[in-house]
Amino acid sequence: MSNLPEQPDQSIYIVDDDEALRDSLVWLLESSGYRVCAYESSEAFLAAYEASMTGCLVLDVRMPGMSGLELFEALRERHCTLPVIFITGHGDVPMAVAAVKRGAVDFIEKPFGDRDMLGLIEDSLARERESRQQRLIEAETVRRLGELTQREREVLDLIIAGKLNKQIADLLGISIKTVEVHRARVMEKMCANSLAELVQSVITGEAGVFRG
Amino acid sequence: MTDSSSQGRSTLVRWYWTAPYVAVGIFALTMLALVWLLQTREAESQRNAVARDVQWAEQTIRLHMQGTEEFLGQLARDLAANALDPDGFQLRANQHIANNGELVNVVWVGTEEVVRWSAPFDTIDWLAGDALSGLQTLPFYRARETGRPSYGEAYVNAHQRMVLEVYVPVRRGRQFLGAVVGVYSIDRMVRHLVPSWFAEKYRLALISEKGEILAVNSSVLDLDESISFAIPLDPPGNGLTLRATAFRTEGQLPDALPTAMILGLSLVILWSLWLLRTHVRRRVQVEKERDRLFNLSLDLLCIVGLDGTFRRCNPAFSRVLGYDPDQLPGRALLDIVHSEDIPDTLEQMRRLASGEPVSFENRCRCADGSYKWLAWSINPVPEEKLVYAVAHDVTGRKATEDAFRAESAFRRAMEESVITGMRAIDLSGRIIYVNSAFCRMVGFGQDELVGAVPPFPYWPEEDLDVCSRNLDMTLEGRAPPSGFEMRIRRRDGVRLDARFYLSPLIDQTGKQTGWMASVTDITEPKRVREALEDAQERFEAVLDGLEAAVFVADAGTDEILFANRAFKNIYGHDAIGRTVRGVSFPQPESEGYRVSLHGLDVSELPIELFDGEAQHPLSGRWYHLREHATRWVDGRVVRMGIATDITDRKQNAEVSRQQSERLQHTSRLITMGEMASTLAHELNQPLSAIANYCMGCVTRLQSGKVRPEDLMAAMQKASFQAERAGKIIRRVREFVKKSEPRRGAVRMSEVLDDAIAFVDIDARRVSGRIVLELEPDLPPVHADRIMIEQVLINLVKNGLDSMSELSRNERILVVRVRLAGPRTVEVSVIDRGHGIGEEERKLLFTPFYTTKSEGMGMGLNICRTIVEFHDGRLTVESNPDGGTIFKFTLPTEVVSEQSARTA
Repeated sequence: MSNLPEQPDQSIYIVDDDEALRDSLVWLLESSGYRVCAYESSEAFLAAYEASMTGCLVLDVRMPGMSGLELFEALRERHCTLPVIFITGHGDVPMAVAAVKRGAVDFIEKPFGDRDMLGLIEDSLARERESRQQRLIEAETVRRLGELTQREREVLDLIIAGKLNKQIADLLGISIKTVEVHRARVMEKMCANSLAELVQSVITGEAGVFRG
Repeated sequence: MTDSSSQGRSTLVRWYWTAPYVAVGIFALTMLALVWLLQTREAESQRNAVARDVQWAEQTIRLHMQGTEEFLGQLARDLAANALDPDGFQLRANQHIANNGELVNVVWVGTEEVVRWSAPFDTIDWLAGDALSGLQTLPFYRARETGRPSYGEAYVNAHQRMVLEVYVPVRRGRQFLGAVVGVYSIDRMVRHLVPSWFAEKYRLALISEKGEILAVNSSVLDLDESISFAIPLDPPGNGLTLRATAFRTEGQLPDALPTAMILGLSLVILWSLWLLRTHVRRRVQVEKERDRLFNLSLDLLCIVGLDGTFRRCNPAFSRVLGYDPDQLPGRALLDIVHSEDIPDTLEQMRRLASGEPVSFENRCRCADGSYKWLAWSINPVPEEKLVYAVAHDVTGRKATEDAFRAESAFRRAMEESVITGMRAIDLSGRIIYVNSAFCRMVGFGQDELVGAVPPFPYWPEEDLDVCSRNLDMTLEGRAPPSGFEMRIRRRDGVRLDARFYLSPLIDQTGKQTGWMASVTDITEPKRVREALEDAQERFEAVLDGLEAAVFVADAGTDEILFANRAFKNIYGHDAIGRTVRGVSFPQPESEGYRVSLHGLDVSELPIELFDGEAQHPLSGRWYHLREHATRWVDGRVVRMGIATDITDRKQNAEVSRQQSERLQHTSRLITMGEMASTLAHELNQPLSAIANYCMGCVTRLQSGKVRPEDLMAAMQKASFQAERAGKIIRRVREFVKKSEPRRGAVRMSEVLDDAIAFVDIDARRVSGRIVLELEPDLPPVHADRIMIEQVLINLVKNGLDSMSELSRNERILVVRVRLAGPRTVEVSVIDRGHGIGEEERKLLFTPFYTTKSEGMGMGLNICRTIVEFHDGRLTVESNPDGGTIFKFTLPTEVVSEQSARTA
């Protein structure tokens, strides 16, 4: 579809044991221009899984062997951040709700309308793109923080804590002049134009460090 | 013995005893007489000897004196003849004096009575010139007168010498010239004129006329005056007597000695006779006493020869054994010994023969043939070749001993076997006796318990104060007569309940020495009693709680022996003792019984008499009545009846049948609900697929970049999915359509096909495989097809679900149908799933029990209801290969028709 942003790097991975449903879903999504990969079981997907995969997952909750929920858990263990949409049958709603509570994007009950499905997939892809972007920024910040010297890092922490140059000089036992030199270098290394930008990027980076 | 004979004998005995005395007396007298005679004769002969000797002595003296007279006469004649001068006189006189010692002097006295010459010359008595004394002149003159020698009186001269003078006249012719005097010393006369042997034997004495002893030849005074003889000495003739007296012979026994000895000896004999008599008397007495003892002895006394034959028996033989004691001598002892005791008796006899005293016991036969125990004590006297035997009748003692032994054995056995423990304590509380039962009960040994003082080892630590309180009560005599219960501790720590009964321990003097406790282990009885009470209570509660009326009546008399509360409530509380017919109990007519009430054999019991329904004649209510003939507790044959009021049940039967149908319907609806859930899920798949295909087509058509063949394929797929959904719907319609159970001949193969088609959805979903194993030529079953289908679907689905964790190629479910009996078809659903635990299995058929999160727990319960509705059974067992086997049975069509007819 022309109105949809073409995201060649994103794919939709479908895992469903029912061949008819899987096939029809592939048919539907492909007609909307998405790149679709279908797997007949959780095990098959896990075997094909790579950390570099981007896009979103569409999982049938009830499957023989490893269920959709189990696959979700397994992926979580592998730090997979792909958003997951569960397809549930009549009696599987509570299970799907539990899955959403644990971080899945959403669920959709069979039989579902194509709008609903496509809408969910669009949302998921957008969210995945965003979070991927965010992770890149975080990674960049972490990298930059890593370039700071020990003394620069100390100065940075005190700046974030809201200390004046003079206070920093007193605390570290160095001259204000030196603090100013360190401060300028930190701003430069962190590519920050203002104090606010600096703090923003450090907090993001630390969040990324924690998440990572 | 009679009196007269004893009298006679005693007289005789007295005679016996007098005779020796008399004999001794006579003998003594005879001896005395003899002795006297001998002595008399002896004395006589002695006197004769004396007389002879004296005569001989007198003759000797006389001869000497005549010799001297002649000498003097010679002198006189010589003088007269003057043939003599003084010297010649002197010579001749001296010569004569020297030859005759008795002559002292020879003197010539002149006529003038004066001494002229005297010889010997040295004499001092006769001095020439001396005149004769007056006394001398008498014989002088008599001599002158007579002219014959004349003897003067003996006299004592001046020299104190007794002298005798003989005057011989000197004549010349007629002329008297004086006289020659011979002077004899009388003393010398007796001394010198008798020979020495005479002097040894006799004392010779010269005795004057007046009886004076003038001279003796011995001064020895020990004379036997009895042997003396006197003879007048003549020539002197002047009354002089010569007496010889025998000396008492030295060593010669006195005359009285024999007499004394005889008398003494007689006395000794008499004394010894008397002694002998007393001794004999005593002996006789002793013998009499012994005889009496022998005769009166209660013990058997007998003398038996070493050959074993009786020699003498006492009358006790008659009293004890019944034998005449006079007949026994000569018979052998062994004749009357019990045959079993003969070897022992023989052995004892052998020992006796070797001189050993023995004592033993044996049995002897009485005259009447019975046997008595005798205790023999036998002493042999080998030199007599006899044995002296004493036998005591110990039959009584033996019997007592046997009784005592039996008694003691009995007591011992009793003590050993009683399970009642006995424990005695003295007044201080120390244990003085325990029996073995007590030891067994407490597990301590007798040695550990006897002598123990409180606290006793079998007191449980936790009950020490209770135990000591009980003991104090016992010692104070305040123990309750019903005893008290106490817990005791066995050695191994196990606690027992025991009941102690206490009674005072009294010794033979009537003094209390302690307390005896009998201890019973009531742990088991207590438990049993409680159990029995419980059982009785339960029994009564059950019987009384029954709504059915229960009675037991004598089969013959119809008397009611037992009736429960329900029976009494209906037929009156006085029912027991009345007859069953009397209380108008509903019962079948006599011909309604299967067997005749009378003549029932005990071995056939218990036997069912009746099982059916009967209507109460008065109330019109219906009862289900079952009667059995059985043995009652007292052994008689009774019939036991249970009548259940089924009036309500009969009324309810219809209602309940309807209810049951409703339940069936409900269960079907429940099953349908479950089914619907599954169906909804199943329908979602094709429907979603269809929607996807359609939307995909629409989207592609809108975008324009589409190939017709792609669209075609998608649409065909959508169409196929629609068909799939249609099939599902159709199946549901078919299932719901049949709501009423209709049993008929059903082929299991058809049912299976339908059911498997239904669950195929599930099977595919879990990638399971269903294998059918049908026995060929199965008969049709009598069943409702849909219901059985439902059961199969349920079981197969369960089986598939249970295998979800297996790998795909292991998920094989086997449905096997076979003929299990002549009229039974068995269907097994065999899975290899996780199986069912014991706990789960119990709960399997419980309604609303489920292991599945989405299940309602009605499935198996309904399955069972359906199977049982079909007179079949649904069972569960473990698959030996892992997993579970559900089996249910169904009747074949033929059987069902028959059972339908009979019902």
